[in-house]
Amino acid sequence: MNKQNTGRLTTFSPSLHANVKTIRDCFGNSTDIVIRMFRSDAAPEREIAIIYVDGIVNSQIINESVMEPLMSMRLPQHAHVKGSKLLEALRSCVVSIGSVQSVNTLEHALQYMTDGLCVIMADGSAEALTADVNGGEQRSVTIPQTQTVIRGPQHAFVESIQTNISLVRRIIRSSDLHVQVHKIGQQTHTNVAVLYLHGVADEGIIKEVYRRLAAIEIDGVLESGYVEEFIQDETFTLFPTLSNTERPDAVAAALLEGRVAVMVDGSPIALMAPTTFFTFFQSPEDYYQRYDIASFVRIIRYGAYVISILLPALYIAVTTFHQEMLPTTLLISLAAQREGIPFPGLVEALIMEITFEVLREAGLRMPRAIGPAISIVGALVLGQSAVQAGIVSAGMVIIVSFTAISNFVMPEFNMAATSRIIRFLFMIMAGIFGFFGIFISVMLMLIHLVSLRSFGVPYMSPLAPGPTKQGPWRDVFIRLPWWAIVLRPLDLNLRNPKRRPNGKKPPTQRHSDKA
Amino acid sequence: MKRWRLLLPMLICILATGCWNRVELNDIAIIAATGLDWKDGKWVVSYQVVLPQAISTQSASTSTAAVHVFSTKGESIRSAVSKASQETSRRLYFSHTQIVIIGQDAARKGLGPLLDTYLRNHDSRETVNVFLSKGSARRMMEQLIPLEKIPGAAIQRMINNEEMNSSTFHQMTIHKILLDLLGTTQATGIPGLVVSGTNESVDNAGQLAYTSTPSKVRLFDLGLISGDKLVGWISNEESQGVMWLANHVKKTTVPFACSEDKSEQKLSSIRITHASTKLTPRHSSGKWLMDVSVTATGTLMEYNCEGDLTNPKQIVKLQKRVEDEIVAIMQKGWGAVSKYKTDVIGFGSTIRNKYPKQWAETVASWSEEFPNIELKLKVKVNLNSTGMSGSGFKKAQEKDDL
Repeated sequence: MNKQNTGRLTTFSPSLHANVKTIRDCFGNSTDIVIRMFRSDAAPEREIAIIYVDGIVNSQIINESVMEPLMSMRLPQHAHVKGSKLLEALRSCVVSIGSVQSVNTLEHALQYMTDGLCVIMADGSAEALTADVNGGEQRSVTIPQTQTVIRGPQHAFVESIQTNISLVRRIIRSSDLHVQVHKIGQQTHTNVAVLYLHGVADEGIIKEVYRRLAAIEIDGVLESGYVEEFIQDETFTLFPTLSNTERPDAVAAALLEGRVAVMVDGSPIALMAPTTFFTFFQSPEDYYQRYDIASFVRIIRYGAYVISILLPALYIAVTTFHQEMLPTTLLISLAAQREGIPFPGLVEALIMEITFEVLREAGLRMPRAIGPAISIVGALVLGQSAVQAGIVSAGMVIIVSFTAISNFVMPEFNMAATSRIIRFLFMIMAGIFGFFGIFISVMLMLIHLVSLRSFGVPYMSPLAPGPTKQGPWRDVFIRLPWWAIVLRPLDLNLRNPKRRPNGKKPPTQRHSDKA
Repeated sequence: MKRWRLLLPMLICILATGCWNRVELNDIAIIAATGLDWKDGKWVVSYQVVLPQAISTQSASTSTAAVHVFSTKGESIRSAVSKASQETSRRLYFSHTQIVIIGQDAARKGLGPLLDTYLRNHDSRETVNVFLSKGSARRMMEQLIPLEKIPGAAIQRMINNEEMNSSTFHQMTIHKILLDLLGTTQATGIPGLVVSGTNESVDNAGQLAYTSTPSKVRLFDLGLISGDKLVGWISNEESQGVMWLANHVKKTTVPFACSEDKSEQKLSSIRITHASTKLTPRHSSGKWLMDVSVTATGTLMEYNCEGDLTNPKQIVKLQKRVEDEIVAIMQKGWGAVSKYKTDVIGFGSTIRNKYPKQWAETVASWSEEFPNIELKLKVKVNLNSTGMSGSGFKKAQEKDDL
């Protein structure tokens, strides 16, 4: 319940008709409110009402497990029970639903109705029963759209938080997986779930997550992005301090590392905290495929990140300030390409970068049917015609395309988006000051990065401040074999830091040698 | 709010101070080679400017030359350079200069002014290769060279190839020249260039369409610099000897005759794959002695003499022949440099390192003392392979006759 309503709770009146009228008025006579009133043979003098919101309940369950038993109920000796006793009898003997609760205030009843529960009321009783008949149209679990892997589980979160929690529970089958649901949003009353592994996750971090969630005051939460912006440590930063995923296995892995996951009803994206800079370079697939390949790919990813933020800036700096740094042959080749190009290097780079950003955004937003048309325009007009028309040099097209492709190597989209903005800042600094400007910008970026915290954990850990033990390094720049990763990331200050008993490889036996 | 107020002056600073030295690639004229001549009391600086359009793969046509050569005159080198803006549309860009060619007359006048500009300016690199030209430097730069589009780069690669494969000349960069001329002996040797063949110059790209060119640039003679002036030339053979003495030999081919008879034709040759020279000075009764000990390893490349090469004794004999040959080469080189009294080998510095006190007494009269040094040449050649054949073609043929 949100805070504003706690002050003035309305209790039910004993008259069923009064109660039904109140509920109907509260919903402003909305047509999707179903109110079914009937009399049962077992208690003919007491009218019974079933009230629910159409569309968000499973009508089959209502018919089979609520209506049917109620209408055909046979109450034993204490049949003519008075007052609230009837409801008690209904709950214990009649309604065949797993989760049935009694409520005695109007506001709670309304809340449950909008959550997809049905309310059962009886005349002469100032109480109501709620039965969980949640249902309605829902998307089924499908393969991940944004974080695809070749090897690994192929299911992704959906919009229903119950489904999402169940997906994680199916991976971590332990009572230590604790789930706490909060309601956020004065109008939307969105369910926000906090998941953590009891005994592994740091208590301080869990408390901090709760504290920050409790402090949110907003009318509605439509997506986990709302929550992210409220609970992140620093607003004025380009770097995300919470990671997100649509993969249940990624959430499970985060929980096992001692992180806390936050899920928001209606959003297939779960948040994970705390997050360090380096977690953005770890793809779930790193842990599913062989460690050597995973390490190689991870190093490529770090390289691609550097390229995606620095390459256009380096090109601008070298070609407009530091021509002496290029090999002579390359310089002459670049100079030949630039003959007849009307714009300075910086402007040329900005034109191409912005064109690419527009293309990318257009490709994302436009109707799917127009997709091929845009790619033809993009490839032909930009790739070739712009060069032939002498607006940009061929070298610049290569630089921009390679930068753009490097950007897509990042496993998590929010970090990739960050590098796009940083790239522009670097380019402008390179255009003004050359290498000096790039150097200053990189210094500022590093200073900013080490100043960031995510739920109290330094953003650059375990790189800065340095690790106390060698453990954390085993899964930062490269991934060691699973048997060598003994410790959970120590930057999370865990009570239970060990993942596995020791660092030794399990013994293998060669049967063929002995035979 | 306060933070933003602070940001404004920073922004103004950036906008006011940035970009001042920005220069686009199509605003510079990349110079591949610089030439320096001394003519009628004035410095003539020649530039070989690369034309990027002619080199680019998209629009290149073989009928246009990839470079343009022009010269400016001035009382001083830099004043001549500054006059270039009166006749070109782009700023001259010296950082990518591959070679500097100094005309004979300019070299006799002195390298001092050139070296000073290199020491003083940041846009000229000390890694450029320096050459002396028998004719005018400008003439050398106009000459097109097959295989390479930019003649400056071609000459630079030529000396590199020469140093790596036959070691008759040593790459002399401005840096090395400065080290030598500011060093103990203040003498150095710079490879010379000459246009050989007919007088017709190859300055038209169309001429490269033929299978041979009427004239070509080649490395020829070593110019000896003493102080900062050219004092004389020594021949390629003599230069090779100097390279042996100065430990500059990397790989070379040494021809030798079958016997010690000097008139006999040198029909066989050995490829030296590794060589090192050690100089040890000695002082005895007011005279300087120099122990020159050379160790070299090589492979037999060509053998047209008698003798069974599977016999180790024959190999020792053969090594002795090559050793004698190398001694002869070094003596030739020594004779040439001692004649000009210029210590391009660096004997002076080895003496200075070992006997600093005696050196202090000698230094004043070094150019007089230098030719009087007595050389003790000791060469040790190690033949590590006779190649893929044992005794050779002729032996094999004789065997068949049996």
